[in-house]
Amino acid sequence: MDALNNLMYGFGIALEPMNIAYVFAGVFAGTIIGMLPGLGPISALALMIPITFAMEPSSGLILMAGVYYGAIFGGSTSSILLNAPGVAGTVATSFDGYPMAKQGKAGKALAIAAYSSFVGGTVSVIFLMLVAPLLSKVAVSFGPAEYFALMVLGLTAVVSLSDKSLVKGLIAAVVGVMISIVGIDMQTGTERFTFNSINLLDGIDFLVVALGIFALAEVFYMLLRGGGGKEAPRNAIGSLKLTRSEVGQIAGPVSRSSVLGFFTGVLPGAGATIGSFLGYSMEKRIAKDGDTFGKGNIKGVAAPEAANNAACTGSFVPLLTLGVPGSGTTAVLLGALLVMGVTPGPMMLEQRPDVFWGVVASMYIGNIFLLVLNLPLIPLIAKILDLPKPLLLSLILIFCMIGVYGMSFSVFDLLLLLGFGLLGLGMRLFGFPAAPLILALILGNIMEESMRRALQISGGDWMTFVDKPISLSLLLIALLSLGLPLLKKRRKKAAVAE
Amino acid sequence: MTSLSLKRLAVLALPMAALTTIATAAQAQEWTPSKSIEFVAPANPGGGWDTLVRTVSRVIQQEGLADKNFAAINVPGGGGAVAWAQIARDSGNPHKLFATSPPMILVPLAGASRYDHTDFTPVARINTDYSIILVAADSEYQDVNDLFTALKENPRLSVGGGSAPGSMDHISIAGLASAAGLDASAVNYIPFSGGGDAMTNLMGGHIEAVITGAGESVGQLGEGSQLRALGVSSEERLGGALAEVPTYQEQGIDYSFDIWRGVMGAPDMPEEAVAYYEELFAEMLETDAWRQASDQLGWIDAYQDSEEFGAFLDEQQEQFSSVLSDLGLLRQ
Repeated sequence: MDALNNLMYGFGIALEPMNIAYVFAGVFAGTIIGMLPGLGPISALALMIPITFAMEPSSGLILMAGVYYGAIFGGSTSSILLNAPGVAGTVATSFDGYPMAKQGKAGKALAIAAYSSFVGGTVSVIFLMLVAPLLSKVAVSFGPAEYFALMVLGLTAVVSLSDKSLVKGLIAAVVGVMISIVGIDMQTGTERFTFNSINLLDGIDFLVVALGIFALAEVFYMLLRGGGGKEAPRNAIGSLKLTRSEVGQIAGPVSRSSVLGFFTGVLPGAGATIGSFLGYSMEKRIAKDGDTFGKGNIKGVAAPEAANNAACTGSFVPLLTLGVPGSGTTAVLLGALLVMGVTPGPMMLEQRPDVFWGVVASMYIGNIFLLVLNLPLIPLIAKILDLPKPLLLSLILIFCMIGVYGMSFSVFDLLLLLGFGLLGLGMRLFGFPAAPLILALILGNIMEESMRRALQISGGDWMTFVDKPISLSLLLIALLSLGLPLLKKRRKKAAVAE
Repeated sequence: MTSLSLKRLAVLALPMAALTTIATAAQAQEWTPSKSIEFVAPANPGGGWDTLVRTVSRVIQQEGLADKNFAAINVPGGGGAVAWAQIARDSGNPHKLFATSPPMILVPLAGASRYDHTDFTPVARINTDYSIILVAADSEYQDVNDLFTALKENPRLSVGGGSAPGSMDHISIAGLASAAGLDASAVNYIPFSGGGDAMTNLMGGHIEAVITGAGESVGQLGEGSQLRALGVSSEERLGGALAEVPTYQEQGIDYSFDIWRGVMGAPDMPEEAVAYYEELFAEMLETDAWRQASDQLGWIDAYQDSEEFGAFLDEQQEQFSSVLSDLGLLRQ
């Protein structure tokens, strides 16, 4: 088998002592970076370009790729423990991870996150190895119309993410879209919602909103309720061990989300964040106990964690086979490769097989390192929850502020963070769900740009969204996923009536 | 976010910078950078500005021309306007440079930026690149005339570019269209977030053609490529990987378009700093590493110092504003 030969060749490169050291250094640094909100993989990689400049291209990419997937792996930790997502891709993990931690099952949540990340990462490396060259076709098959349809499908998750009141969920989603279009419009150069403030020209960074609405709002909420917060059991990290039935429960979600996440990652412009949301909402809809999602369901941790790691690996497909970066992080990787004198693209597999196969092989090794590295760390890191509440709350506050300030060096962003914290608090007090807002914030801008581009190509003909098979299928799935829950509800009502 | 990471880099570099400042205090008259130089590409990675920024940074580092590192930063959005707004806030900063080219003139003329070239400090013109028209490898169009014949019949035919309407790629193809006897506004120009994005959409068959920088397209042309070039906007054929691509003039259309590239700095950059950079870039153009990179990318050296470059920019502004008003795109 060809792939096997190539893989052996790749392992030959990845197992060179120096490269093993690079994988280890990469995933270790990545884990730490991922845990700290604000210090994302993009900034870490940009910092490393001068270091990798003089390296062998394969070693350089092995190191940098390790940082990237290591960060996504480690990003779940602060999502689960503090409700403060370390990287954008792990926002969805906090939906069920944080409730689990509050119930004294932090250890279990972290362990599930680690196992799921490992499976997601490994499954997608296998895909990357077997079908990467073929998938370059999939990556380019998505034009503006298809992206619009995909974003619509993603947005239907608003329904399943707004538990009690659909109206409140939709209101939150609309606010999310509005936040996403703040800044200079790429299509025309027009300023929107900037209120003539130069600080808003670049738009509002996703993490400012996420940290405000989740972490800061949580701090405010606890303060409002007297700061004592006696409901959280002390010393309750809980066991790391999963029972056989728990493993059975997450096996399905993890494997489905791994595949889904990988394909989301392959599309330039989608990536880990969208992948994790799609995985989460898919599982919530499929699950029989979908109602308990958001309240500490282990599947709600497993699905987004498998998906975001799989998507991270998937995003290497357009990067390495087309020379097109699919996300901010892979864009920095592309830049680094160019600096090292390697031009990723259709010819790379033939011209630089050492880089491609070396990196693929190193990903197997890296994922094992991550698992071995993270599991023993869990009890240590989870001890942070043992801190007295006043200390813990101040710590979260400082964490968020350093994260945001470190990203932009702008005091204005700190005020924004505070504003979004208050918005999040208000939303909680009045029963508005935060997840739809975040989802709409991620998808809104891409959806709008894709729609306008598609219409311009079609000369204003809306049929373009229905004429293209991929776009049509995605829209039909979206329609289906909107219709099914309603049908389910009606059937339930009918059953109750009988 | 890439832009912000570099600020962090700058902060990390501060302690080191402090040390070197002490070391060089003796020779204080001549200005030298005291920390990493932020070199901004006002677009996504993979584009023309990005290629310039990264190549310049690499050559300077490779040849050891500067004591301090040139750190490449991408600040995409608004055809450059987002980056300019950021840099305009940094008045007097001698450690902030950015790559520039015709959009520096065109975007403000289209009313899409609060800042124009007069708000910044011209440092040096470096070289020039040209526009190139690409189609899918299996496209029915064999030359530029085929494409324009098809455009005449089907005005909806979509041509993608990497920048906003009224900016460089759009002006280049609109000017070509009018030289070929079409109405300049007849081209259905689709703006993408960068040349790379536009080329991906061309590979996927979502658009019919792409107009982008010749340098930017080199990585996507050649053996095994999914794309093919129809024509290039230079007066004479380019070398290297683009030697096979005919000029517009060879194909009977009397039109050429230069994509000059240069470096500008933050507003009111100190004169000593400008002098330092002028000399640095002039020196860089003489190196072998630069020669080799330019050949690969199809660039042609076109150095001007700060004063010449400033005057040149004023001229360009006059020229472009008359083209734009012909097109009905002038908004200033």
